[in-house]
Amino acid sequence: MPSDMHAQSTRSNQQRCDSAKMDHRAVVPPVIVFDHVTKTYRLYKSDRGRFFGLFRFENRDLIGTIRANKDLSFTISRGESVALLGHNGAGKSTALKIVTGVTYPESGTVEVRGRVSALLELTAGFDGQLTGRENIRLRGLTIGLSHDEIEGMEADIVSFAELGVYIDQPMRTYSSGMKARLGFAFAVAIEPEILVIDEALAVGDTSFQKKCIARIHEIMSDRNVTVLFVTHTSKLARELCSRGIVLDHGANVFDGPIKQAIAFYDDLETQS
Amino acid sequence: MFDSLRAIIKDNLIWRRQVNHLALFELRKKSRGAVLGWAWFFIKPATYIFCFWFALDVGLKAGSTNPSDSPYIVWLSAGILPWFFMQEMLGTGANVFKRYSYLVTKIKFPLPVISMIYTKAMMLIEVCLIGVLCLALVLTGCDVDIYLLQVPLLLVMLMFFWDTFSIMVSPMSALSKDFHNLLIACSTPLFWLSGILFDVKSLPFDWMQTVLYFNPCTFFTVAFRDAFYDKVWFWDDPALLGGFIAVAVAQIIVMCLTTHRFEKEVPDAL
Repeated sequence: MPSDMHAQSTRSNQQRCDSAKMDHRAVVPPVIVFDHVTKTYRLYKSDRGRFFGLFRFENRDLIGTIRANKDLSFTISRGESVALLGHNGAGKSTALKIVTGVTYPESGTVEVRGRVSALLELTAGFDGQLTGRENIRLRGLTIGLSHDEIEGMEADIVSFAELGVYIDQPMRTYSSGMKARLGFAFAVAIEPEILVIDEALAVGDTSFQKKCIARIHEIMSDRNVTVLFVTHTSKLARELCSRGIVLDHGANVFDGPIKQAIAFYDDLETQS
Repeated sequence: MFDSLRAIIKDNLIWRRQVNHLALFELRKKSRGAVLGWAWFFIKPATYIFCFWFALDVGLKAGSTNPSDSPYIVWLSAGILPWFFMQEMLGTGANVFKRYSYLVTKIKFPLPVISMIYTKAMMLIEVCLIGVLCLALVLTGCDVDIYLLQVPLLLVMLMFFWDTFSIMVSPMSALSKDFHNLLIACSTPLFWLSGILFDVKSLPFDWMQTVLYFNPCTFFTVAFRDAFYDKVWFWDDPALLGGFIAVAVAQIIVMCLTTHRFEKEVPDAL
């Protein structure tokens, strides 16, 4: 009898927990809202065709269109960690680019509220002539940080990137791993409100990768940080995220708890 | 169209702090890697001016018919210094999205503001060069008079006109290499035909002068010479000012149209 009562109590706790999660999503304001977003890329046989295509001339060089995102809708609340799962070409990276504001949807609306830090291409924007320290300053100023803010986080970035005396050397002398480490250290140091990660965790050696994942966990422990993560690695998605959205041919085909999302994605993989 | 213009002005105001910092970094990057560093911003123009002065004044005696008290090199410098800025804007300035591609494809940064980074960086060099010319005038005992007051206004006009030009053509240059090559190909003819090395006001046919007044390179060359050498106000010549205003207004209209049409296409194309 007591064990039945215990089971009942556990079930009711679980229900309370689930409903609390639902309440959380209902109560906490959304930070990312995709509303029927469609993004199409036009493919041309040549650059000449692409140029004339911009003026909407009748174009024989147009060889096809790719719907990277097709009527895509989802809402992500503050503090959620969501994995975007899907095959290559399913539209995950396009969705992330739209979130970061570097590309625009063809139709539909996108709302993003909060400072976005993207781990898309970690070394993009670094200048080989400038030192690592100068590049930290350059990147900080580009995104609108003040000199004081940059100075405040510089020591953390230098220490996290483990570059030693190289931090004051021109970045052209860095290896690709060193550049990526500095890029990652910067992206996680700016205290983002929305952290966007596109399979960027393959940084440096294994111990550094562990350090990166630990740092992401640390960021995620702040309930106000929202994480959007693209990966093919189910284990990492399960470790980092509580919710999964599966994309297939640009469309949202599953949206739910991460375990079920991974199972759905694995089925999709098997079928294909 | 007015919405585009309003958005361009608003973005430039909101992002001006970042633009100022990035413009300084642009100069730092340009000077890095050379022992003489920042000095190269002055050595190159000085070499240019010396070569033209030697060939035209010493060799061809082009300055012998000079009616003014000021030396020929002042006339030459007043015309050629704005050209250095315009040349940069016709080259790299007309293709800023390629130069700052990370601001287009990796970071959320308003595209019409990117032009201002390069424009401000080049304008800083231009202001220093004009400052050196003013200093040279003082040291050589030339007249430093009220007409030089129009120089700051001309520098502001120079900056905004060529920033507008950069915003107008950069999307097209990003989308078509042919278009950018065409602009580069225009650079040399513009140098020789814009009155930088000859006096537009003494051309044999009036219609030639009128046509050239619609060339903004001619406008800035003549206007800077009015200030430094001829000692007249540039707005005293209505044909010169009218031609420039007509081109500037047309350019602003085309800038709004190209921004509206191509702004969202550029990140995908890059």
